[in-house]
Amino acid sequence: MNAGQNSARRIVASANPFIRDTVCISCRHRLTSSSSRRHAATAAATAQSSAPPSPPPSSTNSTHVPPVTTTNAIQKAYAVLAAPILSRPPLLTRELTSFEKAYYLYQKRLNERLALPFSRYFYYKKGTPGDEIWKRQVKSRKAAAKDIGVYSGYGDEAWNDEVLVGSKLAEPDEIIKALIKDAEGKSVVEDKAEAEEAEEKSQEEVAKEEMNKITIEKPMSRLTEADTTNNTKSLNRKLDRSLYLLIKNKDGRWRFPEDRVYGRENLHQAAERILVQSCGINMNTWLVGNHPVGHYIYNFPPPSKKSALPAGPNGGRLSTVQPNAMVPTSLTAGPKDVEEFGEKLFFMKGRIMAGQVELAKNEFGDQDFAWLSKDEIQQYVTERYWSSVRNVLADR
Amino acid sequence: MALADVTTAFLRRVRPTGPAVFNLQSTCRYASSNTSPADAADLSSSPFQDSSACTPSEKITAFDPAARARALRKRGGRLPPSRYQYRPPRYDRGPLHPHQPPPPSDPASRLFEAGPFSLPRLEQTYHDTLASDFMTLSYTHFPPGESAHQKGARLRPWEGESPYYANRALRGPRGGDVLRLLRKPITFNNIPQLQGITVHSMVKGAVEDSAHLHVAGMVLQAITNVRAEAHATRKAVAAFGVRKDQHVSVTCDLKGEDMYHFLSKCVDVVLPKIKDWKGVKGSSGDSSGNIAFGLTSEDVALFPEIEVNYDMYPPKMIPGCHVIVHTTARDDRDARLLLSQIGLPFYGKFIN
Repeated sequence: MNAGQNSARRIVASANPFIRDTVCISCRHRLTSSSSRRHAATAAATAQSSAPPSPPPSSTNSTHVPPVTTTNAIQKAYAVLAAPILSRPPLLTRELTSFEKAYYLYQKRLNERLALPFSRYFYYKKGTPGDEIWKRQVKSRKAAAKDIGVYSGYGDEAWNDEVLVGSKLAEPDEIIKALIKDAEGKSVVEDKAEAEEAEEKSQEEVAKEEMNKITIEKPMSRLTEADTTNNTKSLNRKLDRSLYLLIKNKDGRWRFPEDRVYGRENLHQAAERILVQSCGINMNTWLVGNHPVGHYIYNFPPPSKKSALPAGPNGGRLSTVQPNAMVPTSLTAGPKDVEEFGEKLFFMKGRIMAGQVELAKNEFGDQDFAWLSKDEIQQYVTERYWSSVRNVLADR
Repeated sequence: MALADVTTAFLRRVRPTGPAVFNLQSTCRYASSNTSPADAADLSSSPFQDSSACTPSEKITAFDPAARARALRKRGGRLPPSRYQYRPPRYDRGPLHPHQPPPPSDPASRLFEAGPFSLPRLEQTYHDTLASDFMTLSYTHFPPGESAHQKGARLRPWEGESPYYANRALRGPRGGDVLRLLRKPITFNNIPQLQGITVHSMVKGAVEDSAHLHVAGMVLQAITNVRAEAHATRKAVAAFGVRKDQHVSVTCDLKGEDMYHFLSKCVDVVLPKIKDWKGVKGSSGDSSGNIAFGLTSEDVALFPEIEVNYDMYPPKMIPGCHVIVHTTARDDRDARLLLSQIGLPFYGKFIN
């Protein structure tokens, strides 16, 4: 139960600065500061389990510091990396399922039966053109609602509220068509008499009507040009889904933009820096919260004689971490040699408000980028990476 | 009616209409909507799914129930009473009465209310974007071995020698008898969300002339899509010239779809149009997650439903109103975070 706590405390208290760097700054601060915030019960439990020969605590809120063993043996050390998951939230509502569409239409018709009649005199003054148009339209469609087809909620045939087989009334396209027709002042139902009248009209009359015609702007399509060309670089693709920024790194792997955490910077600062260094400053982004939303652990394979990478005395991978120019604390410390056994990647949640990725400004040697939805990401990344990321990404 | 008649009538209903029609019905999906690919992906493959095989027969396309009923009426017949002429009982006479009213969700019920009619955009945004962001924002990290600070018991036992203190209900907290709501750490199952909105308008003019109240009711109904309810004064106040039981205010309680539509209308259309509007006051709120703001009569006139026929409302009678947003947040800080995610700005000092 207390193993994790003890090891974290040991790392914090140890003199080796390299080991200290493997604990995040906020946790280190909490662990080194007085333990007055700790729950009394936990403190008592720790005291009993870790130091049996020590005298029992005099009071429950006494500050308990677990015994710190200063060992010079190098602990297992991992490279700590931050990876901002930059997303563009859905801009459009989702497409309704067929059941939802049919259900909403039926409810609208039921409402027509139950609602009080439309008070025409309140909305249209007598004798105004609006009043005349309203009367004409209601005569043809029988109901106040414009998007439910020809149906009257009152009278002998009000029971006939179900739509017949093959009717496409509930489709959004049909609803938009009906609403536009209504706004243009035409009746929703195509009257035979009206059609005959239109045929009999002289050319002058037709031209005159064309002049006076009200044109209603149609809503834009849910599909954009980027959708038709499947342009994964565009942020205008898949407007009803969340899109996430994926980057092809110099090894040719598709991952979220990532980099090591340098010096004394924290995950939030690292994520902000990584966005700037990998995608340029032409993006207006916001990182949601200071905490990571997920993590990914990768253990380096044990060193073999064939591998070119130098192996450390403990079987880890030896390398030199160069300071990052954007992190002043790492510059003062200078380059440092580390022996690492793997990497721990922490995902930070971010949102893009405006702008676009500029790969020319990339400092990590990344090759490509793409804005992808959740199901597409699965095809780009490795299975292990996907399993650590899948629950972080929104379904829509 | 003789027994023979009953059985023939019964048999006529039970007898299948014909094997061909029956087969077609069992394998085809007839609806007023297309099947979306998302539906198909969720289902395992079955003959029901194959809509290409569904070309409704002539008999089905020619079917017109209204015309059939008209012809039936002409001949002197009636619609089958079981389906079309059922009236639920006027009163609920208890669970033991043989004639039970249908549940309120049944369209035949007297209590049935139609709806919902749409899936509001704000609701979808909440579930897809805002909720998960809220959880991320309100997360507090405790390193291994640490835990959240636990407050002591708020109710005090009765201490003393009196025998009446034994088994007595606990005393309230010191310094006031109000037990405030406890805020629990936010996890996936207690993310704050919108619960309801109350739009309230107290009309001063209604003391003199009830016309003001009628107009206020119409305005509130128009902007909220909910029937307005008038409230009477409980006490007479001579200073305001108010007598007891005089109707001076109207409210609308919004829930679900109406609530989402109203709030997104406010945030997207009305509030941006208000001149020099600073936002919602940071000190607003009842310290248990409900936040209120006010709209003047000029602001109410900016609602699209009012704007479209502004002239039909009597001049200078459009009321101002209070909008009280109820959330499931346990304190005002969380409620404010939720509302600012939705797009309501706050200004001034934040008080919890």
